[in-house]
Amino acid sequence: MSTDQAIDATPTATPLAVRFQGWGTAITLVAVWALLIAATGLYRPDFFAHQTVLAIAFTMSIVGVLAIGQGIIGISGGFIDLSQPACLILTSLIAVRLSEAGLPLPLVFVGAVLVGMVWGAFNATIVVLAKLNPVIVTLATNFIGLAALYLVFQLAQVPNGSEIYHMGRASFLGLPVIWWPMLVLIIIVGFLMRYTRYGRRITAVGGNRFAAQARGISLKKTRFATFMAAGGFVGFAAVLFASAAGPFNPSSASTMQLNVIAAVILAGISLAGGRGSFWMLLLSVGFLSTIPTSLVFFGLSSDTQSIFQGILLMIAVAIDGYRARRGTP
Amino acid sequence: MTDTTAASRTLPGHLPHHPLRAALTGSVASIAFTFIAVIAVGLIWIGPKFVSFGNVSIIGSFLIVPLIVGAFSGFALLAGVVDLSIGSIVGISAAIFAWLITHGWGLWPAAGATLSICLVIGGLNALAIVRFGADPIAATLGMLTALRGITWVLCGNQRMIPAFDIDFFTLINQQLFGLPLFFLLAIVLTLIAAVVVTKTRVGRHVQAVGGDDRAAARAGISVRGVRTAALLLSAVGGGLGGMIYVGQLGSAAGATGLGLEFQVYAALMIGGYSILRGGVGNPVGGALGLLAVAGVANILDLGRISPYYVNIIVGLLLLAAVLLDRLRGGDAYE
Amino acid sequence: MRNSVRAFALMALSVPVLIGLAGVAEAQDKFKLGMMVGGNTCCEWMKAQGDVARALAEKMGWDYVELSNNNDPATALKNAQIMVQEGVDAAIQFNGQPSTNPAISAVMKAANIPIVTYDIADPGMYFVGIDNLAAGIAGGEQLGKIMKEKWNCEPDLVISSEGAGAGIVNEWRTGGMRTGVKNICPDIPAEKYISFEGSGDAAVALPAARDLLAANPNAVKMAVVGINDGGVLGLINAAEQLGRADEVIGWGQDGAFITGDNVNPHLAGSVFYFLEGYAVYAIKDVIGPIAEGKEVALKADAGDPASKVQPCPVSAEQAKAVPDMPERVAQLLAAPAGTTEYDLFCLNK
Repeated sequence: MSTDQAIDATPTATPLAVRFQGWGTAITLVAVWALLIAATGLYRPDFFAHQTVLAIAFTMSIVGVLAIGQGIIGISGGFIDLSQPACLILTSLIAVRLSEAGLPLPLVFVGAVLVGMVWGAFNATIVVLAKLNPVIVTLATNFIGLAALYLVFQLAQVPNGSEIYHMGRASFLGLPVIWWPMLVLIIIVGFLMRYTRYGRRITAVGGNRFAAQARGISLKKTRFATFMAAGGFVGFAAVLFASAAGPFNPSSASTMQLNVIAAVILAGISLAGGRGSFWMLLLSVGFLSTIPTSLVFFGLSSDTQSIFQGILLMIAVAIDGYRARRGTP
Repeated sequence: MTDTTAASRTLPGHLPHHPLRAALTGSVASIAFTFIAVIAVGLIWIGPKFVSFGNVSIIGSFLIVPLIVGAFSGFALLAGVVDLSIGSIVGISAAIFAWLITHGWGLWPAAGATLSICLVIGGLNALAIVRFGADPIAATLGMLTALRGITWVLCGNQRMIPAFDIDFFTLINQQLFGLPLFFLLAIVLTLIAAVVVTKTRVGRHVQAVGGDDRAAARAGISVRGVRTAALLLSAVGGGLGGMIYVGQLGSAAGATGLGLEFQVYAALMIGGYSILRGGVGNPVGGALGLLAVAGVANILDLGRISPYYVNIIVGLLLLAAVLLDRLRGGDAYE
Repeated sequence: MRNSVRAFALMALSVPVLIGLAGVAEAQDKFKLGMMVGGNTCCEWMKAQGDVARALAEKMGWDYVELSNNNDPATALKNAQIMVQEGVDAAIQFNGQPSTNPAISAVMKAANIPIVTYDIADPGMYFVGIDNLAAGIAGGEQLGKIMKEKWNCEPDLVISSEGAGAGIVNEWRTGGMRTGVKNICPDIPAEKYISFEGSGDAAVALPAARDLLAANPNAVKMAVVGINDGGVLGLINAAEQLGRADEVIGWGQDGAFITGDNVNPHLAGSVFYFLEGYAVYAIKDVIGPIAEGKEVALKADAGDPASKVQPCPVSAEQAKAVPDMPERVAQLLAAPAGTTEYDLFCLNK
């Protein structure tokens, strides 16, 4: 077997792996989620109530959109975007300022998404021009960004009674208004990543960047595209966050980071790149968002929440690793 | 079949063959340059006070725990299994140790019990990563979260366990030759770790496993054994760090060690380690990275820069340092 | 390309050098005040505490050093050591991670430097701050009066938004508010009092508050107390999202969200401490006399403080007359020396 063939062989193996991983992940996630719901419902039958659904759906909304951004970085081989908290706060501040200026909601979305994309382009510029690892770059830009934001503002909130304020509190068809865009975006991105040339290219770069390059895919363009797209999703999530969160400050987003990364990993989107289905995010985000609500129904304090989430993440990646290892010769 | 083997060996296989030369011409030389630059800036700006025993003592005692944690967790990085849970291990170790010594345990039995628990934690990390093949970042992120939750619960409603013991405080803050004794010990520990990494067979094995685990396995090295040992060592480092914090700070808190993993790994990366692949890095480089970052923060503190700019400048320096390393022939991304 | 990258690196490295060359050494014989700010990005007042201290120190003609504790225990200790090395004559700290206070006390004592601590007491430090328990009780009683009038002291729930990270301060404030409610409405059964962890941050409290409301689906009349306005607002926002805010009444602490034109209608009131202006008290009662060479007795207990900050409970209606924080700071700095924000802005003296 020649070296060329060896490299070429890898991408053709990827779709198979995706399909195999996808089903296993879906079945596992549905099973544990159902188990959690059933156990909580047995203990407290009033768990099966519209209020519960609302509480979980609200929690899902913002984490879900952020997870799309994180997933795009992961699947393309950029590993993790550690600058999501800074980008989220920056774009939330933009959303607040635009709302304060009286701009209509669609323009607020456009503004926040654009600024998010600029942030992504800024990350990508450093990654591509300086040829530095995205993990280190985003670690640094998050550090710099949050510190700089703190100099600009310490507190912000959307105006009471404004259009965006109502969006963060309204329901549509029994679910939060801000939940629906999350659902639509995950479905669309899942479709784009799987069935379009661009999506496959991004995944291919994550799977084996040199093979992808050999096939004529520009790594630089891919980096810019993925980071800008990821930043755009953070900007979109920021409008949802600003609408729902009430007053926020530069550190308000830091607790979300772990949930977002955990959601991406549980969804089977490889942080090392090259495999994963974005549709699984609906299951993983839903499952992760149910855990804190269940714990409250069990009467446990929120301290215990992180214990459960942490142990669960370890078990999930251990199972994932075991399955992947067994799958490879 | 044989061709594939050869190909995979030539791609990432340079480092294991010349570990010493690679370390001296690569990462350590870069960080040494950065370190000297920091000292120069400090001397120009702050004056001789910057390198006075008093000031170095302040930086040194602040760095005792990061240096020890860095020296131990560096083995895990080197073996290609990054351990993100070190900050939380420091936290839980401090909480357990403080709880034990305030409940009538002597210092040594308490230390032994705390370290044993840390070994169990390291063992669980190893079980998930080495036995089941979990991704190290994801698995130890889970451990980080879970341990922080347990630490909060241990620290109770007041989020802290006061354990101020004037004897222990004095011991940890003991001075030798005008510098903190434990800072000197941490430096000695770093040097021992450096000798182990560069001069011994064990060190070469660790680098080989981190550089290319399949090649190492073919060479007859127990990949699982090396990685398990590295993760156990990393947990021991966290355990020691937590206990030293109890002596230094007089208490354990829910926030003890919070975010330490980023502080340490950012400095280790500046010092030439990589958290994404094993086989590169040197304990001396890591220690110089920690010293350089702490030196910069100190310059800003003494230079009367508004403290709110410190994080911005440290962030820029992180970028500048890794960039410098890359320009000097370090690892390029893509 | 390679050159531009190299130029970027050089620029990044040369910034500190240039600032350093521009820096001029200051005179050494002036009285020197050190300020260690909390450094948590949670709260608007934390940065303002340093800004006010700096402005007042400059007014007094003192030298001023400011460091940030970064909300980290180890950094707080390091900062104390730097203050000693910098030769400050007195220091002020807000330490949100008070676990290090005994060690900081020991360091300052060894160097014979008096240190003021805001709000969280330590036996070795001058206590300047609020009586958190009294502030909690005062707010709780106001809320109790509303509950008595509107609900005849029969709420479905009394919800506490805790901020356990603040330790004993949380127990005093949030627990004090419960005590205040009980003073007015003694017959509310114990099981109606429930708590959740909100970290004193509206955005962080929000998801936990939603879960709590979901787990108590039948509660309608809900009174909310908490460690600060932010924590209380988290629950109010959650109730709005779940469509259950109609009969939610919150009363906060610290007054962060009770001024301005963006006050949530369910926040009935709060208790001002005017945290940003604490330096006035510290300078008036501790640092100023020390600078004049007087002996100041060490009063370290929150019950018998070196300088006592009065809590100022206000209803949302009354708070409309109080300017927001930046404006308050401006007026405070324009006022004669020794004037406190309590003097300037508290309506219920």
